[in-house]
Amino acid sequence: MLHKNAAGEPVGLITNIQRYTIHDGPGIRTEIFFKGCTMHCLWCSNPETISPKRELGIYPSKCMTEGKCSWCVRACPRGKELIKFDAEGLVSFIEKDGGCADCMKCADECPNHAIKSWGEEKTLKELMRVIKSDESFYRRTGGGVTLNGGEVLLQWEFARELLKACKEAGINTCVETALCVPSEHMEAVYEFTDLVITDIKHMDPETHKKLTGRSNELILENIRRTAELGKKLVIRTPVIHGYNNDEENIRKTGEFLRNELGGNIVAYQLLPYRRMGTEKYESLRTPYPFEDYKAPEREVWEKDLLKLADILRTEFDLPAVAGSSGKLDVEL
Amino acid sequence: MIDEKYINNGPDAPLAIEPYDRVWGVGISGLTVNPSPFPRINKMLDWLKNLDSTADSQRAMIVTECDKKYAMYPQNIKWALTLRELYERVKINIWDDELIVGELVAPPNSAPIYPEFSIDWLVEEFRERPMDQRKNDRYVVSQDVIDDVYSIQDYWKGKTVSEAAIASYTEEELKGSHLGKCIALESLFMYAGVGHVTANYERLLSIGFGGIREQVLEQMAKLDHTNPDDNLKEEFYKAELIMIEGASTYIRRYGLLAREKADIEKDPVRKAELERVSANCLQVAEGPARDFWEAIQLWHIATNMIIVETNGHSVTYGRFDKIFYPYYKKDVETGNLTREFMQELIEHSFCKMHQLRKIRDTAAITFSSGTIMGGTALDVGGVDENGDDITNDVSYMVLDAHAHTRIPNPWMGVRLHENSPKEFKIKTFNVIRIGTGEPKIFNDKPMIESLMRNGKTLEEARGYVGVGCVEPSIPGKTYGWHDSGSFNLAKTVQLSLNHGRCIDCSESCERYSKCAGAGLSLGPDSGGLDTFESFEDVKKSFEIQMEYWCGQMIAMINKIDIAQQRLKPLPYLSLLIDGCIEKGMDVTRGGALYNHSGPQGVGIGTAADSLTAVKQVVFDEKRVTGAELLDALKKNWEGYEPLYAYVNSDRVHHYGNDDDYADEIAHYVMATYCKNIENRPTPHGGTYMPGVFSVTNNVMHGTVTAATPDGRKAYEPVSDCLGPVHTQCCSHDTCGPTAVALSAAKLDHSRIGNGIILNWKFSPTAVSGDTGRDNLIGLMDTYFEHDGMQSQFSIVGREMMLAAQKEPEKYKDLLVRIAGYSAYFVELSTELQNDLIGRTELSFD
Repeated sequence: MLHKNAAGEPVGLITNIQRYTIHDGPGIRTEIFFKGCTMHCLWCSNPETISPKRELGIYPSKCMTEGKCSWCVRACPRGKELIKFDAEGLVSFIEKDGGCADCMKCADECPNHAIKSWGEEKTLKELMRVIKSDESFYRRTGGGVTLNGGEVLLQWEFARELLKACKEAGINTCVETALCVPSEHMEAVYEFTDLVITDIKHMDPETHKKLTGRSNELILENIRRTAELGKKLVIRTPVIHGYNNDEENIRKTGEFLRNELGGNIVAYQLLPYRRMGTEKYESLRTPYPFEDYKAPEREVWEKDLLKLADILRTEFDLPAVAGSSGKLDVEL
Repeated sequence: MIDEKYINNGPDAPLAIEPYDRVWGVGISGLTVNPSPFPRINKMLDWLKNLDSTADSQRAMIVTECDKKYAMYPQNIKWALTLRELYERVKINIWDDELIVGELVAPPNSAPIYPEFSIDWLVEEFRERPMDQRKNDRYVVSQDVIDDVYSIQDYWKGKTVSEAAIASYTEEELKGSHLGKCIALESLFMYAGVGHVTANYERLLSIGFGGIREQVLEQMAKLDHTNPDDNLKEEFYKAELIMIEGASTYIRRYGLLAREKADIEKDPVRKAELERVSANCLQVAEGPARDFWEAIQLWHIATNMIIVETNGHSVTYGRFDKIFYPYYKKDVETGNLTREFMQELIEHSFCKMHQLRKIRDTAAITFSSGTIMGGTALDVGGVDENGDDITNDVSYMVLDAHAHTRIPNPWMGVRLHENSPKEFKIKTFNVIRIGTGEPKIFNDKPMIESLMRNGKTLEEARGYVGVGCVEPSIPGKTYGWHDSGSFNLAKTVQLSLNHGRCIDCSESCERYSKCAGAGLSLGPDSGGLDTFESFEDVKKSFEIQMEYWCGQMIAMINKIDIAQQRLKPLPYLSLLIDGCIEKGMDVTRGGALYNHSGPQGVGIGTAADSLTAVKQVVFDEKRVTGAELLDALKKNWEGYEPLYAYVNSDRVHHYGNDDDYADEIAHYVMATYCKNIENRPTPHGGTYMPGVFSVTNNVMHGTVTAATPDGRKAYEPVSDCLGPVHTQCCSHDTCGPTAVALSAAKLDHSRIGNGIILNWKFSPTAVSGDTGRDNLIGLMDTYFEHDGMQSQFSIVGREMMLAAQKEPEKYKDLLVRIAGYSAYFVELSTELQNDLIGRTELSFD
């Protein structure tokens, strides 16, 4: 999906640009989050990246009330017609179907981000300007750029251009993807990708579908292909107690990596579940699928992670670690 | 004696008793029981932590008596005689387990009293605000001491340095002073002494006081007694000789006392220790230090005597690894002392620093609490005069010593440069990650450049030490008056937006009748937001106010300088600073080779974001008129809530986000401050140098500054040091640490001759693991590559600080970074605790 801005220039639909991330690839990195995803995992903590379209998030608690502010109403071409306030005067809803031109002026104008626009169109030039500003930090630490999402490969044409520009600028590149995409899109992007980070969330196709909305066949096939292409690969499993933390599943994952990939991966990281992003669900008026999920105490999941990592290391000889703060030993 | 696990046996590892990559934990601060491998040190730490701070009147009483007795002598001789008598008469002690002896003419944790600078405030504190009732910086003062102080108050009336300085202020100067509207806080060196100096330890240790006597006699022999200038020099030299006697006497007395104690000691181990302590003192009373132990003994007690004389803080201990490595090397080679024992001595010396006390008044401890003595600075690492790295075993041992003591003394600095060993950086950052706030790190390149821009040669500049908080200084050659004032940039912006008037000008101000009430304004009327037609007008107005108020501050600092010269010569310090003996001139009058005065600009972030907001909101966007913004400030944003949120939001350019729009204005504010300070002459024969750090004065300056256009409400702290703004509403830096580093580095650090502080606050999770460590090192390496001058770190989670506020008794050892120093969190004033909690916490989970 290639987005274009009003001027007809190709743009990426981006939800966030984060400078100084240190856990998604080696060194100090700038991470770009693309909007739109092929899956919807139950525990997703970035719901604003799921829909491939721009969205408005509403945070009534940040609103200063219509009476005191109303900058949004003044900014909207349709004024009060579309922007609704509750009894206390707090912004509560925007009627996008009532003739909203999707201009985002209400969000742009809101001084307190009570109306937040998720998804900004960014040109290559704009992104490269931000990316390049931290070049000296990348050089010192072996860092670079990580494209993430959502599913970055949904915007593969733009992503490819961006990665190409990074490589031309001498900046190493990393793509974090779920790989539930056509392999030709993947390969198109790989031409300019130094490191791939992907997940194996479950080995059983049916369970995988229950957890993420999609089966895992395409993903596993793409992982095989990634290894065949000789791409450096980091595999992650978000360990969700009660869903995929059983030893059987982890052994199957280990077998797959050993038998199909020859164990040829940079690292295997087992990540804990964290209840995050709930306020974003609220702002999108979307229910959090894991609302009722009770995560175990820290000591329980810590033991889980360590035990599973140990199985992967000892039985499958995989470079498995718990968490993402261990140093990623890879030069890009 | 020492646990086997501490012995470092790796073949290529730097030699210290800990491995260079030992990890002590992340964000755990001082909350570890028995941190030292040496039982003696743990015992001393426990003892000191449980010992109340007290005050001791011996110094005050002897000084008062001598002031009368020696009144007929010239000032410098009078003071030399006074100090000599003090050292002859004051009660001395040697405490259990001590290997290094010497006190501050008062027992451990007890503060001497210095009536010659000021005494009325102390009497007022005793009368009005008993110090044992204080929440923080608590002192338990005996009635005898209180009575002693009362008894001498009348004698000192009209004789003190502070009274002399204040009497010389004009009405115009007073209005912006600490007695007026606090635009410039100039009074630090008036109620107490100057300090902020480092002795030439290498000279002292190598020739001893006896050798210095020879140097004095040699110069004296050259005098022409018919030359009036030489007649004055003769007085100076006489004072120096008396002073040497005093110093030697004090040290010798400890030697004799140690021998007495040894004679009656039953435990053979302790007896041997006391015998050695006695021999050490008797040797260094006049002679040079011959080994590490003698050297650390002399270094310690010689420094104490600077404090006893000057009543200054930030009396700095120099470059420890450079001074001590020759002794260490020889002792290891000859087998005279073991590495482990020298480690223990270093840790012991830290405990000795931790016993020093200085009483401060209620205002000072509200804003600058928990400083204990203050400024016990000591550096390791860096380059030698040829530019080669000097890092050695001792550098590592000093860092380990902090990990083993976790007390806020010394204020430790690590000098880094392009060729600092990787192992040394790992050790440094592992200590930093403990979370006590120690050490701070300096970047050699801009530090050295700043010194060269202020008249030092490259070779000399390479030998710098960070005095006190961070002030670049050539050790043993400089009388720097570092930290001589603190200038409120935020308030000056306000005055420039409101016709030279305070934003909160009202009849309730005690100056009202002679200011606005009389149709006048506090500063010159340089226009206001209601009259400016362009941002250029704003800048013009700001420049007028800056020139005016910086001038007022300089005038007052000059007058304090003159009062110090007239009333409080420093014959002892003059022995230890190069130039004084050669010139035959007291250090206060310009005897040192290098002389400076360094007042700080405070609130650069607030000033920059305020001017930026005016530029963007009023002139670029025309979202509000200047008059409306002025009204919003006067109403403390009431009725202007959307505008308040807007200027605090990322829609408005803010310093600290690698955003040229705002960063250029920050640069402009700093350059304007520098222009008005740098290279002005000081009365003691040097030049002014600007600094950019607030220590904790940002909280104090905030309390006299009404709302500012950056979205700060009235009386909140202004921004700290070089850091971005954080208001009650939010932090203005939203792009992470690389952006903060790049913004800060856009300012010209080497122009800041008196030093810079940049505070970083990381959540422990952001710097945990090898990934966290190496990326933190990489972040700092890159900041330094961009010529950032200094960094210091707080790595204690917000949750832990909030928990400590709730249950202080459980967090007594929670040591946190404040500004130039670290202090126990629970001993800070609530104002300062909240300021710390509010600083942006960079977390990357």
